Amino acid sequence: MSYRIPIGPYHPALEEPYKLELICDGETVRDAVMHVGFNFRGIEYLAERRNYLQGITLVERVCGICSNVHSLSFCHAVEQLMETPPPDRALYIRVILAELERLHSHFLWAGVASKLIGFKTLFMACFMLREKVMDALSAISGNRVNYGMNRIGGVNRDIAEPQAVLNILDEMEREITHTVLPIFLEDRTVASRCKGVGVLTKEQAIAMGAVGPLARASGVAQDIRKSAPYAVYDRFEFGVPVETAGDVQARLVVHALEMVESCRILRQALQTLPRGPIHATVPPSAKFKVPAGTAVSRVEAPRGEVLYQITSNGTDIPERVRVRTPTFMNMATVRFTVLGQELADSPLIQASCDPCYSCTDR
Amino acid sequence: MTTLAEEFKTRLQHLGLGEEWEWKNGSWWKTLADVDVRAVTALMLALGARFVAITATEKPNKEIRLDYQWDLEGHLLSFISTTSARNIATIADLSPAADWVERETHEYFLVEFTGREHTRPLMTRAGDPLGINLQKEVAQ
Repeated sequence: MSYRIPIGPYHPALEEPYKLELICDGETVRDAVMHVGFNFRGIEYLAERRNYLQGITLVERVCGICSNVHSLSFCHAVEQLMETPPPDRALYIRVILAELERLHSHFLWAGVASKLIGFKTLFMACFMLREKVMDALSAISGNRVNYGMNRIGGVNRDIAEPQAVLNILDEMEREITHTVLPIFLEDRTVASRCKGVGVLTKEQAIAMGAVGPLARASGVAQDIRKSAPYAVYDRFEFGVPVETAGDVQARLVVHALEMVESCRILRQALQTLPRGPIHATVPPSAKFKVPAGTAVSRVEAPRGEVLYQITSNGTDIPERVRVRTPTFMNMATVRFTVLGQELADSPLIQASCDPCYSCTDR
Repeated sequence: MTTLAEEFKTRLQHLGLGEEWEWKNGSWWKTLADVDVRAVTALMLALGARFVAITATEKPNKEIRLDYQWDLEGHLLSFISTTSARNIATIADLSPAADWVERETHEYFLVEFTGREHTRPLMTRAGDPLGINLQKEVAQ
């Protein structure tokens, strides 16, 4: 006998509002139906009714976790239309902010996954490390979440003490390589909950257009920082971790290894931070007009590729602002990953996609 | 960079993707004269390209411009098509990744993707008006 079990839109197993209807035979999931849109705010519509400066503030609120990525993508697209590239120091600062944001997002995800696995000690360890990253972001920008760092043609604030950020990297790397990674790879509790669970095959990942760590855990080696570098990513040495198992454990490992690579990028960027201005000269805001045209910006957010397409009609208000987020592509894969799995594993499986519904719904 | 762009343009031509490609502002652009998006999709999938997005834009004359975007070897290819009748063939059966994108485009811009059903809203709720991103006088 089949049962239809609704989970959500508001449920203790979910971090954000969405609804998953699971069709089960006993404890086994036979099909799943996703419902999203509970966070829909019409941000694309709103951005097309505000000027470019207001747009930066608005798009930074698409997401509470990867807020910097949205203002970065928005500014990058507008800079292409205005032919106003930021100076080198600004590009380095953008990379530093983006990697710190990736670190805190991945620690958040690792903590949530640990909690769902039932490993609360690791949950506490991950959140303790995340706090250090948040403190660094707060020291640089003055804010813990929406940093307000990006502006058209550069950044708003300088990094006065790169050494202060460098100091926390050693501890971060040590904890990831000596605590987090060994637990994800070798611990029996983690293996029993994650190994072979919620598999997304490489073929399914490609067919569904999956991006980011979810795709890389299924053997799809794609990362915009490597394939289409922006800012100054082409100046740094770093790897793109790829696993082939496609299960929850592979996603854990990819996230942990990416944190190590983020530390590598941060160390290089902070040690070679060039001197100079932090923003280009652009027209005063009252006369802000963007030349007509269309530009696309793609950035590797913590959850994968973000795309912004901006069309200007020559005025101070964009004609079109298109935002395509990584979770929008990734969430549809949950239908495949829960099939044939135990009902009790479904919260962990959906969480292992590192979903963000604020991003998805916009 | 110019040389690299020219090399890739030559590669696009060798792949059978035509000659009228322009690299500008983060993407390669090509206008589809006969709007055969299904043929383009089949070709992109055969080349191993990754579906990225469909970006709809309402033009001042109320036509809808649809940019079909694919990632080929790290390069973003944008195929531009335009529809005044607001309907165009679906590609979701060829590329499942396009399913959600077509559904939201239908809800935002009232574009009918022929060959598929829009039975369940994605971002809006059942009974909500369609065309919510259109100018107000067009939205129903």
